[in-house]
Parts: sequence; C-alpha cells; structure tokens
Amino acid sequence: MNGKLEYWVKVPVGPIHPALEEPEKFIITLDGERIINVDVKLGYNLRGLEWIAMRRNYIQILYLAERICGICSFSHNHTYSRAVEEMAGIEVPERAEYIRVIVGELERIHSHLLNLGVVGHAIGYDTILHLSWLARERVMDILEAIGGNRVNYSVNMIGGVRRDLEEKHVRAILDMIEYYRNEVMPKIEEIFLYDPTVEARLRDAGVIPKRIAIEYSAQGPTARGSGVKKDVRYNEKLSVYPDLGVKPITPKEFTGVVKGDVFDRMVVRVGELWQSMELIERAIDQMPEGKIKAVPKDNTLLFQLKKAEGEGIGRYEAPRGELIHYVMGQKGKDVPAKWKMREPTFPNLFAIARALVGEQVADVPVAIASIDPCLSCTDRVAVIDANTGRKRVLTERDLLRLSIEKTRELNPNVKAKPEVVGVGCPRGGVL
Amino acid sequence: MNTLYATLGFLGVYAYVSFASLLWGGLDRKLVARMQRRMGPPLLQPFYDFLKLVGKESIIPRDANRFFEIAPVLALATSIALLAYTPLGFEPIFGTKGDVILFIYLLTLIGFLRVLGAVSSGSPYAQIGAQREMIILVSREGPMMLALFTILWRLNELGVTKPFSMGTFYEHNVWELGTPLSLIGTFVLLLVFMTWLASEIEVGYFDIPEAETELAEGTMAEYSGRHLALFELANAIKAFVSASLVVAIFFPWGISGYLGLSGVAAIVVDLLFHTLKVFAVLFVSMSVFRAVTGRLRINQAVGLFWTRMLPAAIVGALLLAIDTLGVVA
Repeated sequence: MNGKLEYWVKVPVGPIHPALEEPEKFIITLDGERIINVDVKLGYNLRGLEWIAMRRNYIQILYLAERICGICSFSHNHTYSRAVEEMAGIEVPERAEYIRVIVGELERIHSHLLNLGVVGHAIGYDTILHLSWLARERVMDILEAIGGNRVNYSVNMIGGVRRDLEEKHVRAILDMIEYYRNEVMPKIEEIFLYDPTVEARLRDAGVIPKRIAIEYSAQGPTARGSGVKKDVRYNEKLSVYPDLGVKPITPKEFTGVVKGDVFDRMVVRVGELWQSMELIERAIDQMPEGKIKAVPKDNTLLFQLKKAEGEGIGRYEAPRGELIHYVMGQKGKDVPAKWKMREPTFPNLFAIARALVGEQVADVPVAIASIDPCLSCTDRVAVIDANTGRKRVLTERDLLRLSIEKTRELNPNVKAKPEVVGVGCPRGGVL
Repeated sequence: MNTLYATLGFLGVYAYVSFASLLWGGLDRKLVARMQRRMGPPLLQPFYDFLKLVGKESIIPRDANRFFEIAPVLALATSIALLAYTPLGFEPIFGTKGDVILFIYLLTLIGFLRVLGAVSSGSPYAQIGAQREMIILVSREGPMMLALFTILWRLNELGVTKPFSMGTFYEHNVWELGTPLSLIGTFVLLLVFMTWLASEIEVGYFDIPEAETELAEGTMAEYSGRHLALFELANAIKAFVSASLVVAIFFPWGISGYLGLSGVAAIVVDLLFHTLKVFAVLFVSMSVFRAVTGRLRINQAVGLFWTRMLPAAIVGALLLAIDTLGVVA
C-alpha cells in the first residue's frame, strides 16, 4: 500500500438509525471495521424551548422545563426551581427537600433501569431489555401514585413541592424497595457483573480514560465510570443529601479495577441503584413533619418573583450527570430575562466521540447508549454557511420567514397571508 | 414416469417446507416472546409479513446494479435446489453419490448471494454487513466440514451403498457405533454442529451481518418489497434445511417402521416427524440461544470458530478415528 489510495468508508449513524432513540447524526469514518474518525452533528431536534420560555412566567416555565426530557423530567424541574429559589432567596421547607430527594432517587432508579435495558438492546441481548423494562414498571407505578403521571409527574414547585407524601405512598415505596432488593437486583447484578456475553461485549468498549474524562468534563456515571469522583450531591453538599450520606460510586468498589469502558459505566449504574434505594429508605426515616411549600399560594409566589432581580444557578445530579440551570430575573416582570440550561449529555457526547476513535464499528451503538444520551435536551442550533464558513444567528423574524417559505415550497396551494400575531405564546400569566 | 413422480414430489416438498419454515418463524417469535415475558406476535405473523411484502413496491437504490434484483431470485432458486438434496425423514429425492459436497456448496451459495446483493446495493451499511458475512462464512465452514466429513468417513468405513451422500445418514445411526469413546466424539461434533447452525441462521452470538442496532439490518438494509420477501423465504427455507442436516446426522430415527406403515403414508408420517425434530433442534439452537445471548463482535465470533470450534471438531474427529482404527484397542 503506497498510502495514496483512500479506501475508507463513511457511514452515517443517524439522523434516523435503529440504535438511536432520537434524531442525531454521527458520521463515522471506517477503515474496515475500525473507526478512524467520528463527527457529531447536532441540531436535528432543536425545539427552541428557551425562546418559548421567554414568553411564559416563572411557574409556567416549570411545566416547560419538565418537558425538556421525558426521563429526567423531575431533574430539570428541580434544577430550575433551585435556580429560581437562589435568585429570589426563597427558603425551601425541610420536608419538601426530603420529598424532592425521594422523588429524585425514584427517578434515578427508573432512568438507570431504562438505560441498562437499552444497553442490552444495543448488544442484541433483547432479553435484558424486556426484563429490565418489566422491572421498571414498578417504580413507574409508584411515581404515578405520587405525582399522578408516569412520566411528567410535576411534583416540584418553586419553593417546595406540590404534593405531600402520604402514609400509603411511604408503604408502597418500602414495598417496592423490598421487591427490587430481593427480586430484581440479584438478576441485574448477575447479568451486568458476571454474564460472560455481556462482559465480552462491554469490556474494553468505548474506553474513556480518566484524563480524557476530566479534559472533556464528562459528567455523571460516564465520569464516575472513568474513576473521577464527581457527584454534585456529594461535592456541593446539595440540599439534605449530606445528612443521607451520599457518596460518588466508582467501579473500583465493585470490581476492583477502573478502566473507563462501557462495562464500568454499567457497574456504576448498578451501584447507584443500590445507593438510591438506601437513600430513599434513610430519607423516609429522617423525614420531618411540616409544610411542603415556602409560599402556599401561586399568585403570591409570582408576585414575590416579580420583585426579584439578579441571577440564580441551580445544580443537581440528574441520573445522567450534572445538570445546570441558569436563570436571570428582571424587576417588574414575572418572566425571566434569561433561562439557560446545560445537560450532562453535551460534554459526554464529545467524550464518547473521542473515545470511539480506534475502536470497532460494533461498539458504536453500545458506547453511545452507555452515556445514556438525551439528545433532545442537548440540541443546539448554529447556522453555518457551507461556502464561507461564517456563522449566522437566526432571529425570530428569520425563523418565521423560513417556515413560511418552507410551507409555500411544500404546499403551493396555501393562499392565506401569514400573520406574526399568533406565533409563539401570549405573554403574561394565565394563572 | 419415475421422473414425473419425482418432480411432483419435489414440488410438494417445496410447498410443504415453505409452509413449515414460515410456521417455525412464527413459533420461534412466540416462544422467544414468552421467554422474555411478552405476548409476542400472532403465530402466523411470518405469513402475513410475507404476503404484505410480496404486494409492496420494491425500492431499488439509485446506485444499485443489476445483481441487486437478481440476487434474491437466485437465492430462492438455490434454496429450492437445496431441497432436492435435503434429507427430510427419507432419502433425498434427487440424491446421488457424493451429493454432500453439492449440498454444502448450495448452502454457502445462499450466503454468497446475500453478499452479492448487499454489495450491489451501494449502501455503506450493506457493505459492512457483506464484509462481516464473508468473514463469518469463511470461519464457520471449516469446523463444520471437518465434523461432517468425519462422520461421513466413519459411516463409509462401515461400507454403505452410496458413500458421501445425504442418504447414508439413514443407513446407520451414529450413536450406535463403537464404544463410549466414539459416543463422546459424536457428542462433541453435535456441539460443533449446533454452533454452526446458530451461525448459519444468524441468531444470538452470530447475528453479526444483520446487526439491527449496529448496521440497520446490514446485508438486508436496502431490500424492500418483493425482493425482501424472496430473501425472507430463502432464509426461512435455509434455516429448515440446515436444521434438517443436523437432524439427519444425529437424530435419524423414523417412526413409520414402528407404526408398520409403508408407501406414501410412511413418507408423510416420517416427514411430519422429521419436522418435529427440526423444530426441536431449532428451538435449542435458535430460540433458546437467541433468548440467552447477545451479539458478539466480529473478531470474537471469528475467534470462537477458530480457537474453540475448530479444536473441538478436531478432538471429535480424533476420538472417532481412534475408536474406528483401533489405536487404543
């Protein structure tokens, strides 16, 4: 081979691909079965949530934040609330903090069980998928009992929680933990720690060394799987978590080695399932009586927030990693001047893209699934002119013009004049 | 006159095997679903799928060449031709001396035609799938052929009428030959054959060329409509035929003799009993295997064949040879 001949193949994984749940594109350059380059293309699923939020008041944004992602709906909600509470200086009652911990950990259990199944599916081991998702039904039922919904349970409120935890809920949660301890966890541990097929596929796949994890600022189980002791609940002494004795979990405690591969990330998730159950039990034990909202009435709360000014940052360890919400208030308005979030998938995505170089094409789906990507909440938009390479920012008017042009192009029969009124949402509160 | 009967019988066998293999597809999906605590599709789902696909438009990629359309037709034709040499509870219809070689060639040809169709489609997914299919094809045939020829050689030692043909399997039962040593050897060879069967029908560990989550169905990525239907049928028949080979070698018992039947009735009963045995073999090698394993990487699968299955086949062959030649007598 004289080195001049280019014989590699470019394979697009996505925007529509059976291994990806959401539209996103990875352009993978292959030399045989070996990956020599991975290019991540974002921006297929941008929903303009920040823009929509600028037209809603603080409490309405709560419901929008919940719909950023269906899996960590409570996490987004919680983080946003923390940001607003910091900005407005609202003290959250202790009981509310405990309820938040319980719901947050329940959500972590359901998210991790989901991801364990997805990883099983990615290696073609569909039995794992079906059995772990079957086990997940139980925690979804509990979440439904607490919040009224299986997915967006809207338990959270600025300055507390909307729903109290009753005696029957507590009993159901303890029953559920017993079920998981005795029936589900032994099976999960057997599969993810000792099954030879799973080990053959997950070991040494998608290796993120500790140095790369720190350099790319990987988050959550991805970072902890590489041996970085990073957990917002522990490092930041978040809410009541220090009282519950939370610790970052690394694979070292289970297997004795840290390689930073997919296997280690799964081990971390299995460990966190155990930890979450323990945290819930302790939280139920220690939970004090008292009120659950700092401000009982929403109108009063909105009025209080209207007077608030300044910035607030909320941080929380979502199941996938550190979640940051930034809120900037403006005086005299019940609409934030700026709301911005950063999801754990964003840094993790580039870390895993870096880690895939040099590995086999068979590892792509399982490596991508192992960071538990939530692509719809990660999406960013940037319009770049392919010829000049110049970036351009689209304004509201541009987007409207583009959408009208597209409609005309697709359906020339549309005769009605487009009106700017009616675009987006009406300003001000509905409450 | 004899040729006419043979042809009619062949058509009957083709119709029956198409039905039975598609029915097995439905059974397999239902059984795996029950193992995974699911309901699963209706039993006749493969028939519905087949009929739906036949009626649908087939999309031909812009970059595809003629072989893209020819390959599925040839694949089905090959699988039909295979049926003429497949032992289905009785001796193959067109069986002659040495048709084992032809049988293996035709079985490999289906895989080769899949590769040809995939490469002709011009899709990168299909090309990677085709690469993988070729690699796994080369790896899996070696141990299987060694095992097959060992058994044929063993039977040939006993002086059968048609050496190295599919019919010889019915003349002697491999389990009843020689000492316990050859029993162990035969058991080792059975394991090799079961692994080969799983690889031939691409399930569990060996679902590599068609890896759905990696390559979006790999070799089959660009096929749709009628062409896909032809490939699906060819694959279903191939699974049945491959399992028939295992059944003929290791489980050649018929029940018509015990029931005292003869003529057409005996053939029908043997065919049904053979189908039952095929389903049993496929249940172990396909459904259970699919439910309890995931997919391997291509290098691991190739390593499995060269470092595990080939030595196993050699050990089995040596055990049989030692027993037959009387080295340890």
